[in-house]
Amino acid sequence: MFKKILIANRGEIALRVICACKELGIKAIAVYSSADRNSLHVRFADEAICIGPPRLSESYLNIPAVISAAEIANVDAIHPGYGLLSENANFAQVCETSHIKFIGPPPEITRLMGEKEKARAAMKDAGVPILPGSEGIIPSEGDALEWARTVGLPVIIKASAGGGGRGMRVVRTEEEMPALFRAAQAEAAAAFGNGDLYLEKFIERPRHLEFQVLADAYGNVVSLGERECSIQRRHQKLLEESPSTQILPELRDQLGQMLCATLAKIGYVNAGTVEFLMDEQHKLHFIEMNTRIQVEHPVTEMVTGIDLVKSQILLAAGEKLSTIINGSGNIQHRGHAIECRINAEHPEKFIPSAGKITAFHAPGGTGVRVDTAAYAEGVIPHYYDSLIAKLITHGKDRAEAISRMARALEMFIIEGIYTNIPLHRRIIAHPDFRAGNVDTRFLDRLLEVRPEQGSERKITEERKLAVC
Amino acid sequence: MNQKELKELIEFLIEKDIAEFELERGDVKLRVKRTHDSAATHQVSFVPVAHPAQFPGAPSSSAPSAHPAAGKAVEEEEGLHLLKSPIVGTFYESPSPGAPPFVKPGDVVEAGQVLCIIEAMKLMNEIESDVSGEIVKQFASNGQPVEYGQALFAIRPHQKIQA
Repeated sequence: MFKKILIANRGEIALRVICACKELGIKAIAVYSSADRNSLHVRFADEAICIGPPRLSESYLNIPAVISAAEIANVDAIHPGYGLLSENANFAQVCETSHIKFIGPPPEITRLMGEKEKARAAMKDAGVPILPGSEGIIPSEGDALEWARTVGLPVIIKASAGGGGRGMRVVRTEEEMPALFRAAQAEAAAAFGNGDLYLEKFIERPRHLEFQVLADAYGNVVSLGERECSIQRRHQKLLEESPSTQILPELRDQLGQMLCATLAKIGYVNAGTVEFLMDEQHKLHFIEMNTRIQVEHPVTEMVTGIDLVKSQILLAAGEKLSTIINGSGNIQHRGHAIECRINAEHPEKFIPSAGKITAFHAPGGTGVRVDTAAYAEGVIPHYYDSLIAKLITHGKDRAEAISRMARALEMFIIEGIYTNIPLHRRIIAHPDFRAGNVDTRFLDRLLEVRPEQGSERKITEERKLAVC
Repeated sequence: MNQKELKELIEFLIEKDIAEFELERGDVKLRVKRTHDSAATHQVSFVPVAHPAQFPGAPSSSAPSAHPAAGKAVEEEEGLHLLKSPIVGTFYESPSPGAPPFVKPGDVVEAGQVLCIIEAMKLMNEIESDVSGEIVKQFASNGQPVEYGQALFAIRPHQKIQA
């Protein structure tokens, strides 16, 4: 078993990994930038090493600095958390070369899943349904039209060389194809210096569903069920829940088994999440796989009772899945869990809100969990992302989880900075959300409607911005 | 220190639950370690003592070694310039084991002159002085792990530095 683990991350996830280490009797080594000197992850680690100035590229993303710290602290393993270096195959490779165990899949697997086309091909070969896309570049409007006819409209035109919404056009009728094709081409050429385009089937109102898996180094894989993450803004998840209202037990088992077989064949090890879009006909389409622990892992933990981060550490240390999960074929799902991502941002304008937290009181009580590294008098630096807390509730069914979340959001005090708690309260109260009628455009529609005048606006105004 | 003072000191240490205690006199140098409620002593290494009260109202479980504090105190008193480590790694005072150190206190150095090596990931990085002046003190010892921003040398610069 590992004696020392270095956590190559910051904020709430670094704290989460420290919790797992403490429970396993493993020493946790924190690394931090000079902006994070007073962070909770620094405080609660057994050792803490400053590795650079505030900028990510010079600290948390600085591979030589992280590895150097791992060497001088003499660690056995590195946990990369999520984001940052967690899906950097190069970093995983460097760890291996330095004889430090990387807590995650082997570099080749990370590389495979990181190359979107290769991942789709691998899944397609294994029989997993994938979102139909053109194999390779579509050279002309005529070819585009032909391809679109085979899969059926609507389709989306995308730039081969880029992303971020540029060089993208949704085509809903055959008549608009030529003009939109040319427009996308011009935009892509201007943005990326390359006008090559490919096509994908477009789903108007997709739901985002993902399956959590764990795999050991001996070819055993288990699926821990799904999470639904349809509440998103600009492709960033805001609220997640498990189970999904759309997945019946038979489909859960069927898809779970298929994924396990596929991933065992690929040689997957450690934790991972397979992401799908569900179309209006309730069919699932594979989009990508994340080869790391995810932000929203707590909802799966609440529903299955399995500590995913501890599992990651044990799997990396060579433990068998059957030891970690008693009777690994039989995962129990109990009740319903919801997570709200609390961001330091204005609830309506979404401007990031860095600064000093003047009052902080997290809600408690039955079925409430808060994962956070924020605290009263703590400063949220402006160098890093705006996630400051995860509020998770669990109930015997979805209705109870929702009522607990509404109650917990109301009792969460964060002052001195803006947070999106008021937005979450609107989402939780919304009849469509309560009925489970959501898709990835839900939040866009909600935001087109102004919040009510009166109490909500007053509360927002009272929380004045201290210093930005 | 007479016997009465020594007795008071010992009682104070016991009262404050201090497990280990060192003390030098010239240039200060202090090292304190308290026992924690849990079985293991909690030691936070590499935390510069320049920020001792990080969490107001929260009990501090140990005071880290005072090397950076000594550096800061010296700098403030005499207007010395601190050369801080730009990277995390292992400090070496000589170009190779057994060779004489690059510099010692009293030496006059130029800006750009190599003062030490910091090894990171099997690469030896030569650390250059950022000012010209006289080496007053060396804080890191040979083979010691150092973190980003840790004080390595105190230099009395030949010209006044802009703050």
